[in-house]
Amino acid sequence: MSLRPWRVALLHVCVVVMIGVLTFPLILLGFNSLKSEVEIFDAPLGIPKAPTLANFRSVMLGTTFSVNMRNSFIVAVSTVLLAVVVTAPAGYAMSRFRFRGRTLFSMWLLATQSFPGIIMVLGLFTVLTVYGLVDRLPGLIMMHTSFSMPFSIWLLKGYFDKIPVELEEAARIDGCSRLGSLVRVVFPLSVPGLLAVATFSLLLSWNEFFFALVVMRSNVNYTLPVYLARFVGSGGVVQWGPLSAAALLATLPVLLLFLLGQRYLVSGLTGGAIK
Amino acid sequence: MPSSSTISRWPGGEGRRALPFLLPALVVLCMVSLYPLVQGVSRVFYSYRALARQDVFSGWENFTLLLSDPTFSAAFLNSIVWTATSVAGMFLFGYALATMLNSKHLRFRRFFRTASLVPWALPGVVISLIWRYIFLPNGPLNAVLGSLGLRGPEWLTNPSLALWTCVIATVWMGTPFVTVMLLAGLQSLEPELLEAAAIDGASYIQSQVHVIMPSMRKMILIVLTLETIWTFNSFDIVFVLTKGGPGSASMTLPLYAYQNAFMYYQAGYGAAIGVVILSVLLLAVVFYIREVLR
Repeated sequence: MSLRPWRVALLHVCVVVMIGVLTFPLILLGFNSLKSEVEIFDAPLGIPKAPTLANFRSVMLGTTFSVNMRNSFIVAVSTVLLAVVVTAPAGYAMSRFRFRGRTLFSMWLLATQSFPGIIMVLGLFTVLTVYGLVDRLPGLIMMHTSFSMPFSIWLLKGYFDKIPVELEEAARIDGCSRLGSLVRVVFPLSVPGLLAVATFSLLLSWNEFFFALVVMRSNVNYTLPVYLARFVGSGGVVQWGPLSAAALLATLPVLLLFLLGQRYLVSGLTGGAIK
Repeated sequence: MPSSSTISRWPGGEGRRALPFLLPALVVLCMVSLYPLVQGVSRVFYSYRALARQDVFSGWENFTLLLSDPTFSAAFLNSIVWTATSVAGMFLFGYALATMLNSKHLRFRRFFRTASLVPWALPGVVISLIWRYIFLPNGPLNAVLGSLGLRGPEWLTNPSLALWTCVIATVWMGTPFVTVMLLAGLQSLEPELLEAAAIDGASYIQSQVHVIMPSMRKMILIVLTLETIWTFNSFDIVFVLTKGGPGSASMTLPLYAYQNAFMYYQAGYGAAIGVVILSVLLLAVVFYIREVLR
């Protein structure tokens, strides 16, 4: 099929406009982070005329930003590691073994998607209080791990389904132990799936707001989303320059990692988790 | 091919072998998912009493209070309107974009596909803050309208516009996921399918509605259900953008539940709102499970 030139041109115009709408707000954030408070409202759409790093300086030196960034980092990295370690064996079991309660377990995993945050947080508060984990990072790490688990297990099950059992059998006939065939044959083949889980968990944990808002009580324990939301003063007064600088710093590292890992996440979602 | 090896083809129950693999996941899920759910739901039968300074058993009181609470009915209605329009918007834009990104006439396809994912990676709070700035009375949107000779309204504080600002931000945030899923669906279609439709003289719209959409039925249904669940449950955008205001013009159920539980110390009342959310979503979930396990 070939298209007439004007239709090809129209296609490109439409795509550029839609991609523009999807990316321009982030570019706007970048502009604002380099502008003075006056310029932000004098020329809300313009390229910064006198770019300044003053906003970044005031955020780094005048607020708890670096501490909150460190918190976000600790929580996200721990969540990713825990999620991979816990969900990889579970996904393997879901793919390889037929046990009683397997369907029930699948249904439970799928159903957790719909549990309202308010109910979970009220219940979790009781658990965290018992273990003295309110306002502490380990409590948040546990919560984020549990949110990432259902989807991750489901995604990995899809990956393991695609690795033929015969490969494992061949390895065992060649003298591998059961564990050996897992480590030497199955694990290397499932790396793309593990990267998908890592990308998904990283995004989930780094961006999660509601539970962090409720459970973290002191400034120095906030993660970045809570820090950013608290930036808007009680009177609704906002310093947009510094806020944009902080929001940009809170966004870029994970955006870059996501763009590297999205390939695995997308193929994991469309190959195993959803189809 | 029948195989005699021990790992193959699962005869009967293999619970004992599966258990060590599942145990860590089961322990975490029981502690952080099953127990909190039961515990959280049980809160609906308790109310805070100032006199006793603690939660006391109150039976169905929280639910009867819900029925006569005008803010609750406003939030319920807003939630339905907000979810329905947002999901419809995401689907419309996502479907259009996926179709265009799938076209073999498009140049720089890889670049555009990657760029379309950007909103997916941004924290909900950052997305809300950006849109809050865009919608300011002296912000960029009204600057554009002003240069066209129009006087832009006060988007965030106008009762008939506030909810729609939340819809716009939500559509923006959800479009990448829909796009990427539908694009994968389109790529898995047989090219002969479309050529056959074209040869039969089907118009563009006809082949979309009668050929492409039916063959992606399962993918479309799952994406729509997931987005419905996520949007109905979501909190960040309304919390940062409008705080439910002005008045309760853009109040949604998750935000109202949060306010009751953590600002007015009515945890039981908040939990009751949560149970209402759960009951609505249970319908969606049953549908979702049936489609996925089919």
